[in-house]
Amino acid sequence: MTTKANFPVTAGSVVVPYGHVIGNEKWRGSEVAQRLQGKVKLIFEDGLGLVDFHLSNRTCILYISEADLVAGDEFKRRLVRFRNGSNLRGLVIVEKTQISDQYFSAVQKLVVLELGMVLLPVANQGEAAQLIVQLVREQSRDQGTNPFLRKQRPQLAEPALFQTAQHIPGVGKTKALLLLQHFGSIHRLCNASISELEQVVGQTAAQQIHAFLCS
Amino acid sequence: AGLCRHPPGKGPSLSILADSREISCGAEVISSLRAVHGLHVQVCSLGTSDYVVSTRLAVERTFQSELQGPGNRNRLSQRLQRLQGLFQRVCVILETDRAKPGETSRCFQRTQYYDGALSALVQAGIRILFSSCQQETAVLLRDLALLEHRKGAAIDVPTELEGPRRDLLGFYLSIPPLSYVGALQLCHCLGCPRDLANSSPSAVAAAARLSRDCAEEIQRYLRHSFDPQLLPQPPRAGGKGPAAPRS
Repeated sequence: MTTKANFPVTAGSVVVPYGHVIGNEKWRGSEVAQRLQGKVKLIFEDGLGLVDFHLSNRTCILYISEADLVAGDEFKRRLVRFRNGSNLRGLVIVEKTQISDQYFSAVQKLVVLELGMVLLPVANQGEAAQLIVQLVREQSRDQGTNPFLRKQRPQLAEPALFQTAQHIPGVGKTKALLLLQHFGSIHRLCNASISELEQVVGQTAAQQIHAFLCS
Repeated sequence: AGLCRHPPGKGPSLSILADSREISCGAEVISSLRAVHGLHVQVCSLGTSDYVVSTRLAVERTFQSELQGPGNRNRLSQRLQRLQGLFQRVCVILETDRAKPGETSRCFQRTQYYDGALSALVQAGIRILFSSCQQETAVLLRDLALLEHRKGAAIDVPTELEGPRRDLLGFYLSIPPLSYVGALQLCHCLGCPRDLANSSPSAVAAAARLSRDCAEEIQRYLRHSFDPQLLPQPPRAGGKGPAAPRS
C-alpha cells in the first residue's frame, strides 16, 4: 500500500457507529473486505488518508503488509506522519510471515515503544479480518464485561489493617487486635508514646513497637 | 528526599525486579538480562507481577496458549486487574510457546478466543509486546527499562534491604495500595512509619515518587478507624485455641 505524500493524514472527524467499520476505498474487493462482510457493517469511503480502517471510539487501523515491510522504510514514514498528524488512536496490524519475521522486532520497537501505538501481528489478511471482527465486538460491548479491566470493588480495610499491625516485629494476632482496638487506627498507633503502648502490651513489647514505628 | 536518588547517567546500572517464580520458568530471561544486557536483576517475591521495570510499570510474561481458551485466561485476568490497581502502566509480554521435547514444530492455531482476548487487552489499555523466545523477552524488558529510565521513572533506590529494614519492607508491603517497588521507595526515602503517617500526601508522593492518588490512598488507609466486627472471623481475645485459657 503506497501512499502519496499529499494525502491527508486522516479524513477529519470520522464518527463510526458501533458495529461498523469504515474502510479505505483501496481495500474494496480485498480478502479482508470479503471476510468482514456479513460479520460487521463495512462501508467504503474515499479519502481516508493514511488510515486503512476506521473503527468506533476514534480508533484507526493502519495495515502493514508483508510487501510493505519488504519494500523498505515507506511504512515507517506513514506511521510517523499518522502519529504526528492525528490525535486518533492508532492500531497497527502487521503481517508477520516467514518472510517478514526478520523485520518484526524492529517494527515492534518503533510502533509500541517509540510511537506508543498498539501493534498486533497476523499471518495473513484472513487472520486480520478475524481480528478486526473481534476488535469491533469488544468495542460494542459493555466495559464491565472486559476480563482485563480493573473492577472498582470497595474492599474492607479491616483484614488488611489486622495484617499490617502483625507486621510490626513482636506483634502477633493477639497484640495486633489489642493495639488496633485501643488506638483505633495505624496513624494513632504510630503516634503513641511508650507509656501509652505499655498500658496495652507490656513494657518490653511497647519498647520494641515504639522503636520500630518511630526510628 | 533527594538523598535516595542517584545522579542521572551515573551510579549503578538499571535495576529491575523479577518475581522468584521466574527463576524456574524464566531462567533464560533473567540470565540474559544480567549477562548480555548488564542489568541489575533483583529476584524477590513480587507475587503480583513477573517483572517490575520502573516505579510505575509492571510487566506480566505469559504464553500465547494462555489466551487461546477460557481455561487459562482467568489467572491472567485476575493478575492484570490487580496490577492496574498498583501500577500506572501494565504491559503483557506474550511469548510463543516452547515446543515440548519430541515435538518438531508446534503450529499456532489462532482461535477466535485469542483475538477476543487481544481485543480486550487493547481496550483495557494494557500494552502488548510479542516475543518469540526468552532471549527476545529479555531484550524487550531491557528496552522498556531504558525507555522508563529516559522518562525519569527508573528504579533508582537500592533493591536489596538488610536486617531491620526487611521488617519495615514487610510492614509497608501490607499496605494495600502499595506495590513492591512503592514499598521499597518508602523504606529508602522516608524515615519510619511515624514519618509516613504524619506526612501530607503530596510530601509522601514527592519523597517516594508515588502517584498522588496512591499517596492519598495510603493516608486514608493509615487513618481508617478499625472496627473489629468487620474482620471476616472475629478473633477471640487471647486467641490461641478454643479451650486453652492462658495463665
